[in-house]
Amino acid sequence: MAIEDPIVTGLNSGWAHINAGQLTENQTLEADVVIVGSGAGGGTAAEILTKAGLSVIIVEGGPLKSSKDFVMEERSAYPDLYQQAAGMKTTDKAIGIFQGRAVGGSTTVNWTTSIRTPEPALAFWASDKSVQGLSKEELTPWFEQMEQRLNISEWPFDPNRNNAALKEGCEQLGWDYTVIKRNVKGCWNTGYCGMGCPVNAKQSMLVTTIPAALEGGATLVSQAKVIKLAHHDDKIYAVKAQALDSNMRSLPVEVIFKAKHYILAAGAIHTPTIMLRSKLPDPYEIIGKRTFLHPTLLSGAMFTDPINGHSGAPQSIYSDEFVWKNGADGELGYKLEVPPIHPILIASKTIGYGQSHAELMANFNQLQVTIALVRDGYHENSPGGEVKLTEYGSTLDYPLTDAFWRAARRAYASMAELQFAAGANKVLPISEGMPYLGSWSEAKQAITNMDLAPLKTVVASAHVMGGCPLGEDRKMSMVNSYGESHYFENLSVMDGSIFPTSLGANPQLSIYGITARNATRLAEKLKS
Amino acid sequence: MERRTFITTALVGTACLALGVNYCSSDHLSVNAKLDDKHRLLFSVLLPVFLDGAWPDVPALKRDAENRTLDAIEHTISILPKESQLELEQLLDLLEGRLGLLILTGSMTPLMMRNSAELVDMLQSWRTSFMEMMVTAYQGLRELVMASYYSAPEHWSRLHYAKPNFLEEMK
Repeated sequence: MAIEDPIVTGLNSGWAHINAGQLTENQTLEADVVIVGSGAGGGTAAEILTKAGLSVIIVEGGPLKSSKDFVMEERSAYPDLYQQAAGMKTTDKAIGIFQGRAVGGSTTVNWTTSIRTPEPALAFWASDKSVQGLSKEELTPWFEQMEQRLNISEWPFDPNRNNAALKEGCEQLGWDYTVIKRNVKGCWNTGYCGMGCPVNAKQSMLVTTIPAALEGGATLVSQAKVIKLAHHDDKIYAVKAQALDSNMRSLPVEVIFKAKHYILAAGAIHTPTIMLRSKLPDPYEIIGKRTFLHPTLLSGAMFTDPINGHSGAPQSIYSDEFVWKNGADGELGYKLEVPPIHPILIASKTIGYGQSHAELMANFNQLQVTIALVRDGYHENSPGGEVKLTEYGSTLDYPLTDAFWRAARRAYASMAELQFAAGANKVLPISEGMPYLGSWSEAKQAITNMDLAPLKTVVASAHVMGGCPLGEDRKMSMVNSYGESHYFENLSVMDGSIFPTSLGANPQLSIYGITARNATRLAEKLKS
Repeated sequence: MERRTFITTALVGTACLALGVNYCSSDHLSVNAKLDDKHRLLFSVLLPVFLDGAWPDVPALKRDAENRTLDAIEHTISILPKESQLELEQLLDLLEGRLGLLILTGSMTPLMMRNSAELVDMLQSWRTSFMEMMVTAYQGLRELVMASYYSAPEHWSRLHYAKPNFLEEMK
């Protein structure tokens, strides 16, 4: 029996969906609330506002794809579901960025790791970033609500061998580790979350909040790229979007959206991009600045026994041993996790070519990969990047600083020590010039002396945050602690762009919980 | 040269499976842009260097793999955002012209007239260059070729990797 596709079923039952790519004439659509973006923030807000009895339109730049399209192949998943076919890079090309671009946003393609906002992050925001009302105690009910809504619970099965190596290394070394909570229901443990869940087990926005909103009367408009917000005085009065064809090329069809209230939830690159293009007032020049990535380093390790990192829940263990070790604003900390191992991902995110690369790929199933996500945005030498407009769109200029490189060296050492402790035969820090290292003592010395530099060292990111920070002090924030614009009475922001720093944790649950709080407050205001 | 005027992009590829015509011919010493606007000849020279050791050993299978990879590269370029496409086209055009070759490689000898060792030397000099544009040229081409080659299930046998088949079984 084939897997039922809830999107196909819903559309057949009469859900309101407009594929802007099929429109032949300009359109104007109206609702109480227009939400730009359908990821973790947009999806959560859509369900809450619809349930409150408000009419809602969700505008998504990407296509509507669903489980019938998720065939577990990178070659179709990346162009269909990711920004720039998963090839997006920072301005100098030194950091590769994975970000979703389809209905459901990054929740459609993420690896399901669900972590509440770490307390040190919340404390730093309160003490240094003028954020109010986001203490652990105040957020707990919202996290509980979203954990229940999205079936977030600790992974009850054995980790796959890739994650087990992380766990074993931590156990051997006496390091902290945690079993990951995942937003899944009836997971088949296949390992293909990053290509769209083929069995609808992942509780992404695509199969949870967005269907609930559509069932409640909301309208979804896909393949409509928001160009700008039209504004006058302290009011937004329209959102202007361009229809896109299936290859995401602009079509000569415009869609105008009008609403009482507007929510930007286009993610931490596109929300600031829309704001910049719209020339929103920004007296303290905040928009697009302090954009964070959790810039991530990779360390490969060869094991004798099969690792088969493509199979099984991609992430089920993490280690916070080094995340907050030096205090929030001390030397940069890093979180240890593992990625899923699939051919394009590994072939492109490793180094070299010819015989050496072919040999690495031939040992694909013996390869364990550990990643270190560097917590950026706290240390004074970690200001993050800046979203800037370009002729065709925008770019994220993110210079890698000395503080980052110091953290990178420590992270490579930690990863190598962990991998040898877990039984690796040899370890390969993924940076130009590094050979396979045969022991921890050899690795320790080589990593101490290794060259680290942009483009030579492979750096990736799957977590884009900041660029439109929240807080009460207008000198350092664009929206208040409820995500409401400081300058427009009918504009809110509900996505990862509101974080004043990175999180030191995978961001989806932080976006769900904080959006649930802020969208509930907005619904109450709009209904009163 | 401005920081962003000549920077190739890094890419992740897809492939369409239709087998294309093999444009690679040792008779061609220079590229007629009108006949090869997809840069297949250029890539057919670079693929054996990037994929040495990864290709199938059997000549017929190797030819099929090359065609599949060229198709995948062509398709990947077609779906890139405009900015990335322009950057990449600029690099490829330079590599197909004598002046561009002189700038990038220090020699006007067309790539198709260079032997494997010379092509490896060229890639290594870019890879280890202190100039950002050389390193990005190397990395852009490398990622494009690697992602395109490993996008095809037919090229996974050496990896002992296969996607689960439960979807097919349930149909």
